[in-house]
Amino acid sequence: MALIEIRDLVKKFDRQVVLDGINLDVVEGEVKVVMGTSGCGKSTLLRCINRLVEPSSGTIHFRGQDITGHGVDVRALRQSIGFVFQQFALYRHLTVLDNVTLALRKLRGMSRAEAEEKALHELARLDMADHRDKYPAQTSGGQKQRAALARALAMDPAVVVLDEPTSALDPVMSREVAQLIDRLHRENVTMLCVTHDLLLAGSIADRVTFLDKGVIRAEDTIAHLSKHHPDEQVRAFFGCEENAR
Amino acid sequence: MSGWNAFLRDLFEQMPLILTGLGETLKLTVTISISGLLLGVVVFYFSQSHWAWVRHLIRAYISFFIGMPLIVLLFLMYYGLPQWGVSMSPFMVAVIGFTFNVAAYNAAYLTTAYNGLDHGEIEAARAQGFKPLQIFRFVTLPQVLRLSVPALTNQIICNLKDSSVAFLIQYTEFFARVQELAATNFQFFRAYLFAALVYLALVSLIVLAARFIEKRVVIPGVYR
Amino acid sequence: MNFLDIIVLLTQGVGYTVMVTLACSATGLLVGLVAAGMRRLAWFGVIPLLDGFTYVFRGIPVLVLLFLVYFGLPGIGIKVPPLLAMMLSLGLIAGAYLAEVFRGALDSVDAGEILAAQAMGMTRLQILAYIEFPQMLRFAVPGMVNEFTTVLKYSPFAYTVGIPEITKQAMTLASTTLRGIEVYLAVGVLYFAIYRILLIGVQWLERRYRVPGIGLA
Repeated sequence: MALIEIRDLVKKFDRQVVLDGINLDVVEGEVKVVMGTSGCGKSTLLRCINRLVEPSSGTIHFRGQDITGHGVDVRALRQSIGFVFQQFALYRHLTVLDNVTLALRKLRGMSRAEAEEKALHELARLDMADHRDKYPAQTSGGQKQRAALARALAMDPAVVVLDEPTSALDPVMSREVAQLIDRLHRENVTMLCVTHDLLLAGSIADRVTFLDKGVIRAEDTIAHLSKHHPDEQVRAFFGCEENAR
Repeated sequence: MSGWNAFLRDLFEQMPLILTGLGETLKLTVTISISGLLLGVVVFYFSQSHWAWVRHLIRAYISFFIGMPLIVLLFLMYYGLPQWGVSMSPFMVAVIGFTFNVAAYNAAYLTTAYNGLDHGEIEAARAQGFKPLQIFRFVTLPQVLRLSVPALTNQIICNLKDSSVAFLIQYTEFFARVQELAATNFQFFRAYLFAALVYLALVSLIVLAARFIEKRVVIPGVYR
Repeated sequence: MNFLDIIVLLTQGVGYTVMVTLACSATGLLVGLVAAGMRRLAWFGVIPLLDGFTYVFRGIPVLVLLFLVYFGLPGIGIKVPPLLAMMLSLGLIAGAYLAEVFRGALDSVDAGEILAAQAMGMTRLQILAYIEFPQMLRFAVPGMVNEFTTVLKYSPFAYTVGIPEITKQAMTLASTTLRGIEVYLAVGVLYFAIYRILLIGVQWLERRYRVPGIGLA
């Protein structure tokens, strides 16, 4: 059984249909990559999984439990899903270390010493231990990314969700992020990543899911999608962007 | 309820006095709002002076009046100056004291607005050959005044409310009359509640007028 | 008697002036925080209530409210001691102004960080306490300094309800010595000194809690 099973997920804002019957599985230990142009519904899909956005219909099973209905402990759910935002959203009044310890202390009830030990372990794992006393304003984009990742990983989430992890970074940094995700993959961290960065997608996953106008249009290797997919638009998306680079 | 009836009866009996007091309150408010704005503009002008000592003097002036309670200034003039043979009416004392105080605040608002201004325009005016005073009058001041409208109208509201302080130097404005009313029937709660409601109503009028003015003086494309 | 003697005599009132200022500032801070926090949480029906509160308390002169509380309330059976009367008038009015300062400062908190805290699984109250308020208080420093200064400048009203602060001492001294000019100039100097010292205190606090990237550079 998959860790996350999404079935017939629909999300409408007023009249506008943003997600139109999504079916998607995330299996434990895998890196799932969802691709698509901006405005295709990627971010909304992620936000449905931790109920930052309420789905209009359909089901999402997380560890076998439907989490779309009433009576779901939404905060417990959110604590087991590590979310890394596009702009990283580090708390700018807290140091890198405190960004990681905040949830451990206030949501897990750890003592400061315990929380710091755990946080330092995660920061060291991402080569961020040296920057622990810096404030977000004093760090580079790549450092912010890793701090945000450490903040998510510290909660021992069942899955880490990455929203456009490279869009705020330069190309060199982007390559580093790909290596980082690969490493976490080898360490058996389950990840769900949405991106429109073909280079990133190609280097962290064999197969990608293509989302377009709220519908999953294809699921295959990038090479196959760019050459053999029957829909010209899909071929264009995967081909053109590759040529562009 | 009978308490209210008695209070209202006394209120109507003394209405002429109370209205005179209200007139005095408005007279003081209008006077100091105008004089405070005019002196504020002058202070602001000198705060942009070429001479450092003038700027320091102006900064000291602003900081002194923003740091010193108005009531102390009024007491100094009303109870202190007669010692040197200078006796002024409560109204004069209030006007002078408030003007210095309000001008300091207004100058501070204008400076804030000035700091947010596009200084390229001033250079452009200088390049066109305008004299400093002309630049101030035709370029700087109109923009700064417009940007400061919210702060300046806020100051007028403060002036109205603070004018009640003048009764402490025996100026028989509205609040002083309300005290007299309260003293005749010992209905302090009702009298002060009545005063509070009147001030609230007057403030509301100024707020409405200010909204009207703000809509009129907006410069397209210039934001705070 | 020279100017220094006058200042020494007046300092008897400094403690009361500082006490009134701190008590009213603390009241204002508490009221402002609660009001701004409740507005942020936007519980049902609370926003019109808060609008009403700020409108009324920013529209009534301090002196009128002080008299209403101290001389008026006993008429309906509520006796209020002088310091409490100051807190319920000057303090509440400061609270109404600070609530607006805090509201503006809360708008400067990055929406993305609030969303991130939500995604972490924090409750609305936790987000307010650990993310929004700590940032907001840093944004609000200039507005708070303004308001505390205003409180200090209105603190002389305490003499009208019998608190022996600086102005009260000055009135006694001026009437016994008949040297009003020196006395009130000395009062001005004292207030200015208190103002500068409080300012230094606030600036020290601000530096102590300053975070790179927030507020003044």
